[in-house]
Amino acid sequence: MTDAQTNDPHGMTRRQLLRHTAWFGSAVVLTVVGGEVISQIGNSNAAAPVPAANDAPALRFVQISDSHIGFNGPANMMVEQTFAEAIDMINALPYRPAFVMHTGDLTHLSTPDQFDQVKQMMSELKTSEVHTVPGEHDGVDDKGAKYRQFFGKGTQGAGWYSWDMAGVHFISLVNTLGLESMGHLGTDQLEWLRKDVAHLSSDTSIVVFSHIPLFAMYAKWGWSTDDSVQALSYLKRFASVTCLNGHVHQLFTKTEGNVTFFSATTTAYPLPKPGDGPAPTPVTLPAGKLHSALGVREVNYVKGNERLALKDVRLT
Amino acid sequence: MKMKDLLLRLVLAACVAGTGWVHTDLYLNGYRSIHVIGPSFLLTGAGSFAVAVLLIFSNSPVLRLLAAGLAAGALFGFTLSRTVGFFGFTETGLNPAPQALLSLLFEVGALALVAVSFVPVMMKARTTSVVAR
Repeated sequence: MTDAQTNDPHGMTRRQLLRHTAWFGSAVVLTVVGGEVISQIGNSNAAAPVPAANDAPALRFVQISDSHIGFNGPANMMVEQTFAEAIDMINALPYRPAFVMHTGDLTHLSTPDQFDQVKQMMSELKTSEVHTVPGEHDGVDDKGAKYRQFFGKGTQGAGWYSWDMAGVHFISLVNTLGLESMGHLGTDQLEWLRKDVAHLSSDTSIVVFSHIPLFAMYAKWGWSTDDSVQALSYLKRFASVTCLNGHVHQLFTKTEGNVTFFSATTTAYPLPKPGDGPAPTPVTLPAGKLHSALGVREVNYVKGNERLALKDVRLT
Repeated sequence: MKMKDLLLRLVLAACVAGTGWVHTDLYLNGYRSIHVIGPSFLLTGAGSFAVAVLLIFSNSPVLRLLAAGLAAGALFGFTLSRTVGFFGFTETGLNPAPQALLSLLFEVGALALVAVSFVPVMMKARTTSVVAR
């Protein structure tokens, strides 16, 4: 065989082989470089605040989640302290949020003492209104009866309700109390939701709060709601629907048609990424790293903007 | 070089870049947090952009095969995520919209274009083997 030609008419010359190798190598190098650049962009997006809208917000509120008051484990031995730090952080904001929403798992074991403690702590929030939805930890032994004693005033059914503010229709759903393998809303709540939004014009901005995600974030771990498709079908005609949830203890975003889903982080302890390990058990981070996994979320709504502007702030 | 070949190659590059754009967008907007899915979206995004850029400069069969591999891999992952699950990750239908549909169109288009690009080579090979006999 010479340098230029093999004897096989279907074979390739050494030069051709080198050329193919060079193109393959170039593709690999460019992939590595591109992957590094995209990865860096992803990391900077996660750390940097969402750009503020040009116009002054018509509404600003804060979401906190999964305080798990009463939890005591190596992942966080002081959940009360980190929750207090989150409250201090909200109170130190340069504006007064229209309301603060806690998206569930206020307590860890739903004892009266834990409910009393979390309610007292939240009374220190400098805001006009405090809203809540229950997590599965808030109805451990009584399907949410104690939760409703403390936080159920003005709600319907298992604790669902809605209200209007600055032209936005807010809906708080309960998808934790009929919990088996994943979130569940139930026929009564779905019928209430259908009627609740029936009178609204299609250009109304809708914000939905729930504890468990209303999208299939990771069904294997129950990070999904089995009858959310029907709930979302009632919201299809609206131009802007934003769903904010807790439960998964980490930031996550997903868009499906007109609906954008945002999972919030926790003030207590992190959980593993979906599928990372056999089960979503508390993750113990190295010393000094816990606060970077905890945080609160600021939400701005500007009239005329379809999407809400979210800013996830780490606990400092 | 024939104008037809150049056009075919550029459309293929556009399809591959489209796949890269969809996967990168989803990676940056949440999917990066998902075990295995995040890194695979990153790989598909970066790999697709790399191959798309190189396809502008060369019609190398290696690049076309890489383009086909990326598209087929993405389609395989898509199918698994709608059926038995992909490393435990499942999605339904053409969600997230419109990214899922766009990605499908780009990937099917890329596979079809790669197949078309190899037709002359295969015909030539067949002719050569017939003559040799």
